[in-house]
Amino acid sequence: MRRRAVILLPLIVVLLIAANGVLRQRLADIIESFPTPRPAVPAGWPAPQYDFSSNPVTASGFELGRRLFHDPRLSRDGSISCASCHQQFAAFAHLDHRVSHGLNGANGTRNAPPLFNLAWQPELMWDGAIHDLELQPLAPLGNPVEMGEALEGVLPKLQSDAEYRRRFEAAFGPGEIDSRRMLLALTQFVGTLRSADSRYDRDELSAQEREGLALFRRHCASCHREPLFTDYSYRGNGLDADSADLGRSVVSGKAEDRGRFKVPSLRNVAVSAPYMHDGRFDTLAQVLRHYASGVQDSPALDPALRGGMALSAEQQQALVAFLESLTDEAFLQDERYSEPLP
Amino acid sequence: MKRAALLILAMLPGLAACGRAPELDAEIDISHVVGGEPLRLDEGHYRNAAGEEFTVGRLRYYLSLPRLRRADGSWFEPRYPAESVDAYHLVDEAKADSRRLRIGGVPAGEYVGIEFLLGVDDARNHGGAQTGALDPARGMFWTWKSGYIFLVLEGTSPESPAPGGRYSYHLGGGEPSLARRVYLPFGERSIRVEERVKPTVHLAVDVGALLSAVNPVRIAQLPEAMDPVAARPLADNAAAMFRVDHLHHEPRRRGGG
Repeated sequence: MRRRAVILLPLIVVLLIAANGVLRQRLADIIESFPTPRPAVPAGWPAPQYDFSSNPVTASGFELGRRLFHDPRLSRDGSISCASCHQQFAAFAHLDHRVSHGLNGANGTRNAPPLFNLAWQPELMWDGAIHDLELQPLAPLGNPVEMGEALEGVLPKLQSDAEYRRRFEAAFGPGEIDSRRMLLALTQFVGTLRSADSRYDRDELSAQEREGLALFRRHCASCHREPLFTDYSYRGNGLDADSADLGRSVVSGKAEDRGRFKVPSLRNVAVSAPYMHDGRFDTLAQVLRHYASGVQDSPALDPALRGGMALSAEQQQALVAFLESLTDEAFLQDERYSEPLP
Repeated sequence: MKRAALLILAMLPGLAACGRAPELDAEIDISHVVGGEPLRLDEGHYRNAAGEEFTVGRLRYYLSLPRLRRADGSWFEPRYPAESVDAYHLVDEAKADSRRLRIGGVPAGEYVGIEFLLGVDDARNHGGAQTGALDPARGMFWTWKSGYIFLVLEGTSPESPAPGGRYSYHLGGGEPSLARRVYLPFGERSIRVEERVKPTVHLAVDVGALLSAVNPVRIAQLPEAMDPVAARPLADNAAAMFRVDHLHHEPRRRGGG
């Protein structure tokens, strides 16, 4: 009996080690077989600005980025994740929040923008402060009213977590967890949040929406350029005669850019209220009323908006109907982007 | 066990060097001074050209892309792999080993001067996530306008109207860039890079010059310069901080650098 145990024990140990290796490989294979979103350019779209060739998207890299995006441990006190202010059902904007509250309930100064099609953005943020998608996470991470955490604080947390160590190694190979790997993983996630499947894209518009589209092309499309619904320029849209927020001028150093902000995309606009850089409008109807009759003159004001737009109430309704057709339900419900299971 | 492994590791470069010409290098050693006095962080009290008293709590800057000039005017420029950050060096007064940098792969010969960039060149300043000296975790990266801080000088002065009597100068960005090329001739002597002789260039970097060399600055009037517009007058001063203090040559140890 004892002799049998002596023979069996090493055998069991060897089997367990082998099984562990096989299981790990199986797990890695299963992860790599996930239908991970990959960088792709929808028909008729321009080439993206971010070059994924230096950061090839893999299933393990994307999954790691998704985990980091949803992990509140990235903030100083473990309370705020990227997803806290970027909610999928709001197209990764912060629904019902003019500005978002970060660490210790401190308020930010600008409305959290929705996140999708970021690979096409030449610069990030309302004022274009960030020139490269990879570097974008550093801003909310380090901002004391957002996540309030320095890289020197985040990296040890990740390095001391066995699950993260395994995932980083699966994504990038052996080596230490450093800021670059963390940023590349986050970029694989946020850079492949792609929204291109609204009823507008599928050409399934009602008569009223079509009328709205025609109005949109006449009045709005020069700045909100199709198919991305922005030309990524910085413009003044007449919100204030004297803007409290310096806007683009902080980055450009040019006085005339005071109160100018990046033209936001209008995809998923119906689900990502409130609107404007300070979230002052709660509804699209209010936004349209602003353009029709609320435009304030200032040196920053875009010449095309001087005097406002001549839009009847009916036309405004048609425009709102069209804007609602830009909602991409498949994107909002895509489980590949949702909070991962622990 | 550990010690044995370390010993073997320590011997590896020596072993690798066997049978081929050893790689030659030159070393740059940096001392920070204020006027004629050595810089002592937090403890030293100094006066700028305007007579304002000040202390220095933090001094950091990038020295990038060094190259050596030959007597005929041609240059030796070290070549690095495309992804490498070896051409970027972050000097931090608080870290003694950061005040020494090595230029490797130098061909034997005589060199009459050294040039480097004070700051980070546009290509890397506008790049994506990087590592080494350019890792944003080094605390020299801006997110309000992404790019590197080329130079940080912070301290206190009784003349500063800012809270705590602090003054803070962060140089970076700018169009055109606030990075400055600095050329330092070795003067009447030159350095010799030889198989048996290793040259060291000692630089004396005068923090006082940062406040006065070209555009005199009063801390009372400029307690903070945290953006490229405010910091532009300081950029030309910064380029004038550097001078060659002395050169020396010593025998190269066999097998070592």
